[in-house]
Amino acid sequence: MITPSPTDTPPVLDMTGITKSFPGVKALTDVDLSVSAGEVHAIVGENGAGKSTLMKILAGVHGPDRGTIALDGEQVHFSSPLEAKAHGIGMVYQEINLVPDLSVAENIGLGDMPNSAGLVKRKALSQRAQEVLDQLGTRIDPQQLVGRLSVSQQQLVEIAKIYARQPRIMVLDEPTSSLSQHEAKALFSVVERMRAKGIAIIYISHRLREVLDISDRVTVLRDGRMIDCRPTAGLTPKEMITLMVGRDLDDVFPKREVEIGQPVLEVRELTRVGLFEDISLTVRAGEIVGLAGLVGAGRTEVARAIFGLDRFDSGSVLIDGAEVTVRSPKAAVRAGIALVPEDRKRDGVALSLTVKDNIALPVLDQVAAFGWVLRSQERRLAQKKAEDLYVSPPVIERTVATFSGGNQQKVVLAKWLATNPKVLILDEPTRGVDVGAKSDIHTIIGELAAEGVAVLMISSELPEVLAVSDRVYVLHEGRLTAELSRADANEESVMTAATGEVAAP
Amino acid sequence: MTSTSTVPPRATDEKRANKLLGGVALPVGILGLLIVGSLLSEQFLTTRNLTNVVINMSIVGIIVVGMTFVFIVRGLADLSVPAMVGIGALLALGLQPALGSVLAALVGVLAASLAGLINGLLIGYARLNPVITTLATGTIVLGVAQAAVGGVIVYGNDPELQAFLTGRLIGVPVIVLIFLAVALGGHLLLSRTTFGRWVYATGSNPEAARASAIPLQFTKGAAFWMTATLSGFSGVLLGLTLQTARPGVGAGYEFDAITAVVVGGVSLLGGFGSMPRALGGLLLVTLLSNIMVLNGIPTESQGLVMGSLIAAAVALDVYLRRRGGAS
Amino acid sequence: MKSLRKVFEVPAVLTLIHYRVVLILVATVLLSVSFVPGLTEFRTLSLSLDRAATLGLVAVGLTVVLLLGKLDLSVGSILALSGIAAIALQPQLGQFGAAAAGVLVGLLAGILNGFLVVVLQINSLVATLASMIFLRALCHFLTDSNPISGNDPLFGLAVSRALGGSFSLRTFIFLLAIILLFLWLTYTVSGRHTYAVGSNEDAATASGIRSGAYVFGAFVFSGLMSGIAGVMQSLATNTGSPVFGSTIALTAIAAVVIGGTRLEGGRGSALGTLGGVLVLAAITTTLEYESVASYYQNIVTGTILLILILLDRIASDSPRSALSLSSLLPTRAQKRSPAP
Repeated sequence: MITPSPTDTPPVLDMTGITKSFPGVKALTDVDLSVSAGEVHAIVGENGAGKSTLMKILAGVHGPDRGTIALDGEQVHFSSPLEAKAHGIGMVYQEINLVPDLSVAENIGLGDMPNSAGLVKRKALSQRAQEVLDQLGTRIDPQQLVGRLSVSQQQLVEIAKIYARQPRIMVLDEPTSSLSQHEAKALFSVVERMRAKGIAIIYISHRLREVLDISDRVTVLRDGRMIDCRPTAGLTPKEMITLMVGRDLDDVFPKREVEIGQPVLEVRELTRVGLFEDISLTVRAGEIVGLAGLVGAGRTEVARAIFGLDRFDSGSVLIDGAEVTVRSPKAAVRAGIALVPEDRKRDGVALSLTVKDNIALPVLDQVAAFGWVLRSQERRLAQKKAEDLYVSPPVIERTVATFSGGNQQKVVLAKWLATNPKVLILDEPTRGVDVGAKSDIHTIIGELAAEGVAVLMISSELPEVLAVSDRVYVLHEGRLTAELSRADANEESVMTAATGEVAAP
Repeated sequence: MTSTSTVPPRATDEKRANKLLGGVALPVGILGLLIVGSLLSEQFLTTRNLTNVVINMSIVGIIVVGMTFVFIVRGLADLSVPAMVGIGALLALGLQPALGSVLAALVGVLAASLAGLINGLLIGYARLNPVITTLATGTIVLGVAQAAVGGVIVYGNDPELQAFLTGRLIGVPVIVLIFLAVALGGHLLLSRTTFGRWVYATGSNPEAARASAIPLQFTKGAAFWMTATLSGFSGVLLGLTLQTARPGVGAGYEFDAITAVVVGGVSLLGGFGSMPRALGGLLLVTLLSNIMVLNGIPTESQGLVMGSLIAAAVALDVYLRRRGGAS
Repeated sequence: MKSLRKVFEVPAVLTLIHYRVVLILVATVLLSVSFVPGLTEFRTLSLSLDRAATLGLVAVGLTVVLLLGKLDLSVGSILALSGIAAIALQPQLGQFGAAAAGVLVGLLAGILNGFLVVVLQINSLVATLASMIFLRALCHFLTDSNPISGNDPLFGLAVSRALGGSFSLRTFIFLLAIILLFLWLTYTVSGRHTYAVGSNEDAATASGIRSGAYVFGAFVFSGLMSGIAGVMQSLATNTGSPVFGSTIALTAIAAVVIGGTRLEGGRGSALGTLGGVLVLAAITTTLEYESVASYYQNIVTGTILLILILLDRIASDSPRSALSLSSLLPTRAQKRSPAP
């Protein structure tokens, strides 16, 4: 295989000085990116470093505040995703967006089917699909319905669909996050083949091994800034991690000293085939335990299983040393477990209902007698919880839809604190939340631990995990790879375990 | 310590204005109709006529109470209403000779209730599409009811009960009293009980409701069970007041009920609405119909106005929601 | 419950579920043939087909609407209104002109529905409920609630009379519509796009397909088919009646769903709809021949409908055991996985 030297050829894509702000956040500051034909250019960085914003600007979803995009030396301006597409920019997002009821061939040709007078040339269609699939070296039957393919096959179809439009630049955003290692290998060979065809490939991944194996150059982003861009050859994972996280920990997260008590939550050998395996962990009273890992490592799945939202195949959950059956959220709540879910809009709040109705939802039994809601009690409870959590404005009769993201998140927290849980599981509690609300939420978590609640916190933001946690478990591809004490846990050690650079302890 | 809401003030004002418009439209509409009606016809504002209006509301009103639950729980609609009304009326009259009036009426309600249980199980627990499920169960139930009574018009033979139902108690028509009791019960159930909260949460965001330990399947199923039971009850009352019932007696009631709920501004998307709103919608529709009758517009042609009203009411609702930015 | 689930993982059971539409059709037709002597004779067959044709035409239009995940309750009202136009306008436009006007009325009503659903963004269930009520009232308003008759009863006879000893014109049009629908959905770009929009509107839109236009078009098509059905019906009976078609919407939806079209959109076919219509026709013919009261027919139809949607739910609940035979062979499926 010939790897063309990227710096010799003129760049296909040249983004310079890209700056982008969203209300309250500066997402990108003066970022440069240049990619040559036949190059695989990796972009790495922690969650929130600005990778996806940069790609959305390239895809025409957002316009940059400042900076220029040039294709083959010619400056371009995209006002819509369709325009970017017409300029030969192909995006493969993490989420699969195919039509399950059509065949592979039809999905690949969708929007651009070969036809004569409106009649689909079925032979040409499946021939083209077959050609594309062959070129990518996959063995998917073009006649098969997409809905019947496995996730990894669908992922490849998604790539084939973009590839069929003959893009100059192809962006792969976390393409392996839902794939097993074996399936990922198939994907790499596809990437290799596309590179050989002279396509400029931008590859975004959390899996550093992958990046090292596959890319020619790496651009590292941190906090919306470009930290470095260098050839991959000679880089080690350790160096890359240092580049990604190399920032001083500031004291935004004050840690309270709390006396740690008896184990409250014990999870033993929890397994769900294909998602996570053999997960054993303990959280004590007053302890805040971080559950770290990359996106797709199985953190959310473990949390949902403990809370009874999803089933698990084997293993057990113990509260205060006694086994509990958590086959439904109802049983989990009764056992004293609460879960602040990852996807706020989907699992957290009912947007069209008031703050009061949302907070009272899991504790209706407490404020009702024989199914009759005692409204003054309900109001008092909701008001108190809303104020405890600094919901702003503390108007409990307003619908949740009228509140900001941070305050909606506080409503979710309030709702679960109303159940007086012994164990509080927080899944990305500060994602998409502004700075003020974030610090509020951290204070609340600290207060809860001080009151003796056992807290298990999932966060993709490493500094947050490190600052808040007494102990950190690290997950990698559905398995625990490390358990680190507060003293041992630092960005390097967690990142190393999360990227699977160490074997299981 | 606290963070401020990021909603800009302009948008909040607009939202408030929209909310006001949404909340005020119905009472203003009803008031407007009362004024227009009294201008167009001298008979309109008489006690006699307004009593008639309320009596006309009562039978379909009992169904509206159930349909409101179906709408708010995001169950789309219950199309088995005519069958439930039919089975209620047919059995209540058809079984009179064998069982006596009261027992026959009870069997009528129970039969509809049992069919509603099947609806509830299929829609709530087996997660079938409500529209096609209620269509199928409705077809079956009506067939069974007809088979049970021989498929012909059934006559009742209890003038006393009929007189009681069409008569008055403390000056109010009995049938209206029954409707008011059901409406009040439905209102309290929806607004003041745990179950009512479940209904709103399920309709507003099923995933969040499930994550909040709410029995999703039960809640959805129960809404359909209630609607069927109330429709059966309504059918029994209809049969007893008329002392005659044909199999098609309930035809159109499903659409009348949906019309009332929709005009009342209860969203088909679930999670939003209330019993007073739905019944306000019913009042508006009934008043409108009454005014048209008084002015010589035949019932059959009134749909020209009703159809436009439904489309306008929902289009306004959609427009306000979109401008209000609530998803 | 668990053991029940196991039953549905047995390959043989899955195969049965997969071919449920065909199975039901074969069963009902066999039953009809054994009960109704002479059904296999062409004349009887032709007659019962003729009677199913009106329903069939409406079902053809509804198939596209349901494929897109929408509903159209107004087909019955459109049918009546078109019929009335085709009869009432005969003195002014002549018989053929009036018939054409009737079809045009259906088209316009479809445009109205499309406007309500696509432009005003009203949920199709409520939107077509509104137009159903509106158009039905228009029928009553125009005819003063009385049926109207055409001037030449003989003109319309051609519609329902068997042509040259074969099928009636109406039947031919229905069968032609089915074939065209089949060809369109299967072989044309816009047909395939229809599936795409019904199955995953976001993905379709992201691929540059104008999803709204397809939904609009579906309602126009449905209106058109109901218009044709209404004109045929009124010509055959030489009557325009404001009560025609008052129950046809629900029956036609039932026929389409029995034919395997999914109410949530994205799956269904013209041949399935043909099957669904034939199932209903076979039931009607048989039970009428046996002079079983029509309400038993309702029980049978409703039960079949219920069983089919339950089977559909079971089939779609177990994606691993999905509907194809090939997916039942794990070794082959594994071979299909991408090359390393």
